[in-house]
Amino acid sequence: MRTSIWEKPGSIAEAYWKQGHADFPVYDMHGHMGSHYAIYFKRCEPADVVAHIKRAGVKRLVFAHHDALWGGLRNEKVWEMCCQFPEHLRMYVAINPHFPETIKEDLAKFDQWAPFAVGLKFLADYHRVAVTDKAYEYALKFANERGIPILNHTWGGSGFDGGPIMLEVTQKYPRAKFFIGHCLYGDWDYASRVVNETPGNVWLELTAIPGERGIIEMLVEMVGSERILYGTDMPWFDEFQGIGGVLSAKITEDDMRNILYRNAESILGKNW
Amino acid sequence: MKDCLFFDANCKLGAGAAGEACLPDVSALLSEMDYYGVDRALIRHTNIIKGALTSNEKIAEFLCDDPQKRLCGTWCILPSQCDEIPAPELFFSQMKAARVGAITLSPFEHRYVPCRLTLGKILDAAAERKVPVLLDAFAGRWTELYAFMKEFPYLTCIYLESIGKWGSDRNLRPLLENYEGFHIDTAGYWVPEGIRDLAEKYGAERILYGSGSPRYNHGNGMLQLRHNGLNDNDFALIAGKNLERLLKGAEL
Repeated sequence: MRTSIWEKPGSIAEAYWKQGHADFPVYDMHGHMGSHYAIYFKRCEPADVVAHIKRAGVKRLVFAHHDALWGGLRNEKVWEMCCQFPEHLRMYVAINPHFPETIKEDLAKFDQWAPFAVGLKFLADYHRVAVTDKAYEYALKFANERGIPILNHTWGGSGFDGGPIMLEVTQKYPRAKFFIGHCLYGDWDYASRVVNETPGNVWLELTAIPGERGIIEMLVEMVGSERILYGTDMPWFDEFQGIGGVLSAKITEDDMRNILYRNAESILGKNW
Repeated sequence: MKDCLFFDANCKLGAGAAGEACLPDVSALLSEMDYYGVDRALIRHTNIIKGALTSNEKIAEFLCDDPQKRLCGTWCILPSQCDEIPAPELFFSQMKAARVGAITLSPFEHRYVPCRLTLGKILDAAAERKVPVLLDAFAGRWTELYAFMKEFPYLTCIYLESIGKWGSDRNLRPLLENYEGFHIDTAGYWVPEGIRDLAEKYGAERILYGSGSPRYNHGNGMLQLRHNGLNDNDFALIAGKNLERLLKGAEL
């Protein structure tokens, strides 16, 4: 047998295998919090989630609380959770298009929630409202004026946040920073187009992809590792599985560093 | 690292009929295994769904291309009444001669009901001889799997999921609790530190490292397992010793 990736002296993979972390911080740009109707979670509250991400060398997890997305929990409560773990937790303000007054009230508090609120989260597939719908306009204009990120759940073929819709909205709001959650899973052609046909305001976010053989390699080839962010859907997926998926991809260590931390730092800075 | 055996319980080899991702031959698979440091693999054919007997032949041919014997094969069974596979005694001796250590089934594609009427002869013999039965065909088909396990409660079996990515604890745990011979593999089970939770609750002996290759690469699950918080003994069991034990325990 050849020397495996985990045994290459001085490599990131070797560091992770031996120590569970490397010489850089990891930023997980796609997380959640709290229980979810469709799954049993043993670890989904802030203390347990933070304990898990710390083990894997993750410096920051940016999340939207499940219940805030469903409309049962106000974003202010999520901000309070972040305040308890200021070194590790940051939040996306959950935007539910069925609650327009809540959107306005919460975005009015966005600045008060600094530095914990770093952007917005859209979950159009679950809310059953297309991102191009007027119901999102207020939030989109807000993000566009401020140049802040919007993490969008996206999925190939979706009539709510699929490729053509995301291409339209990313072109229409060129100052908002769009994180394409799940990389438009399965529609790799549009994943490439939303990056390559927009003015530098779009990044692909990897949740659910690390571990799939050859996909990260293909995305790096199509859009460049500078346009890809790391995420796990925490508490859905294990951090070591996700990081392991990036380290197992046949890409350069420079690409891995871009994905795991450099790109997040170039968007949000080193101290956010 | 190499003081620990990694033995992949969930690995498909050969070209599929529908252009799906594949590793076409033994050398491609061994190259991938070497890249990630996987020592051995239990292989089944990608194209089982398109033919049990032809894919069994292909698996036997693949094993001839593996002189170092890093691979062990899986053959697909069919209902005994149509005489497509020989009686259990002969079938198992043919498996042994071909270096095939486990069986699988694909009832939904091969169009029969997976129950005692159709499979009783071969699966009762498999249970008695502790021949591992891979339950990849039941991935995500919980109603059918629950019915199957009621029919064959004493099987030594391994449920292979690797189709979905959402943890299936609500369905897996009742099976682990109620059927002593029910095992699971780790491919696609991405629950944070969840492998350790299952090991603590049901025993590390019930869990096997699986890559889910070729859909998944071998590496991501290795790092997940490495840092799941398991003690060294449980880690080694899951990484490879459990599968080794199950295959050695089969009386072919």
